[in-house]
Amino acid sequence: MSLCESIDTLSMAYLDDELAAEERRELELHLGDCPGCKQHLDAERADLLLLRTALVPPPAPEMVRARITRALDAEDQRAARAGRKRWARFVLPGTAVAAAAAALLLFVGIGMKQPPSTQIATVTHEVVRQQTRTLPLEVQGASTGPWLREHLAPVEPPQFDEPGIQLVGARATAIQGHDAALLRYLVSVGINRVSLTAVLIVDVRDDVLNGGEAVRIGNLTLHLADADGQPVVTYVDDNHIGYVFTSERMTMKELLSIVVTSDLIGRAQQQLR
Amino acid sequence: MLAAREKRTEFERQALVHTDALYGAAYRLTRNPRDAEDLVQDALLRAYRFWDSFEQDSNCKAWLLRIVTNTFINEYQRKKRSREVLDAATAEQDTTDGVLVHADASNHQTPERALLDRSVSDDVQRSLDALPDDFRTAVVLCDVQGLSYKEIAEIMQTPVGTVMSRLFRGRKLLAAALREFATTQGYVRDEPGRSIPATADPKDQTIDLDSYRAQKAREGSP
Repeated sequence: MSLCESIDTLSMAYLDDELAAEERRELELHLGDCPGCKQHLDAERADLLLLRTALVPPPAPEMVRARITRALDAEDQRAARAGRKRWARFVLPGTAVAAAAAALLLFVGIGMKQPPSTQIATVTHEVVRQQTRTLPLEVQGASTGPWLREHLAPVEPPQFDEPGIQLVGARATAIQGHDAALLRYLVSVGINRVSLTAVLIVDVRDDVLNGGEAVRIGNLTLHLADADGQPVVTYVDDNHIGYVFTSERMTMKELLSIVVTSDLIGRAQQQLR
Repeated sequence: MLAAREKRTEFERQALVHTDALYGAAYRLTRNPRDAEDLVQDALLRAYRFWDSFEQDSNCKAWLLRIVTNTFINEYQRKKRSREVLDAATAEQDTTDGVLVHADASNHQTPERALLDRSVSDDVQRSLDALPDDFRTAVVLCDVQGLSYKEIAEIMQTPVGTVMSRLFRGRKLLAAALREFATTQGYVRDEPGRSIPATADPKDQTIDLDSYRAQKAREGSP
């Protein structure tokens, strides 16, 4: 087969840079010997250049970029709303829904807003900082309870009704000179895993952790604060153990809806009896 | 939340840098600035929603162009057909919009030059109008966007041979239309030898690198 027969195909593929190196060399050799094919390819090249020049489109007007930014912003907001709804459905089964609804109602309704004290600001800030450190855990899984009683105080790790929330382990730490333990939980939402941190601090005075907004659930008073844009929920029990819950991947509502499913509510009621 | 912010940042870094290219393709596919804007926005929004399904190591621009092309084929063609029954006022408005965009882009040139450019540009759009959609899409993806035959084949979901013949025929028709406009408007001299030869009815030509290679391989082996 002579190359002349296929010159349409070959010149097109040559000009579009689609020929293999060997095919390219073969064609170039042939062009040296065949003025007809050479002329054909040169004419095709000129046409293609003209065509491509004519087809150069104008750049996108600035207005288009602004429109796209607005559309993406709207999409982010829509996704965030949908994400929160998914959370709420997943995290709050049966009885917890009522508790969370009550908490949120109080949160909106009679929540007292106090300016966060310097103390709570310092404590929550330090908890948030501790939480982001990747130090290894000293104890894992079911051994966490005994470890906590031995090393910190006669206290149980907070448990959650929700089966999707699992205690991973703990390590010892110190917050503002107080002995403390950092407990790491894993919250499963569909295929996603979100980390939740609870820091237990011994010997804290009530007022150290009661800044931000107060939320009452039964006889339990939680305080909601914001540390560097991250939600923090605090609580101090009758034995002066301070509980600080936080998660860098949750909104305040998400965090609160999880904390209210913890057994802290049950414990607070037992303490009353 | 953190994950959402990361997604937006990555999308801006990898996808939004192609906005000009996508607009260019949309502009040539729709042949009208207003539809091009809508098409680019719709396609990018769709890409953002399906960003998780983009394989990070693959060619982002080709992936985005596939979305632009599919969105165009699925929605804009339908919209266009329903719009064809609208009165001529819309068409006139489109023309005016086009003129405004181009006047802005070329206002640093002499008025004569600007007028000439505008006419040529209108001719390009009119020539593109005359092409079947498949031909136009192949030409836009290759000659406006510089994609390879293989990438175009994946986007249009056809064999490479089909891409080549659409491209070949599309280019011939477009070049002929452009030359005709240019000649009738007196921009270029008519060159008798350079008009489309009568034998060049594209349907009669086999343009396919694969069959060339196959035939060559058959001849090569005894």
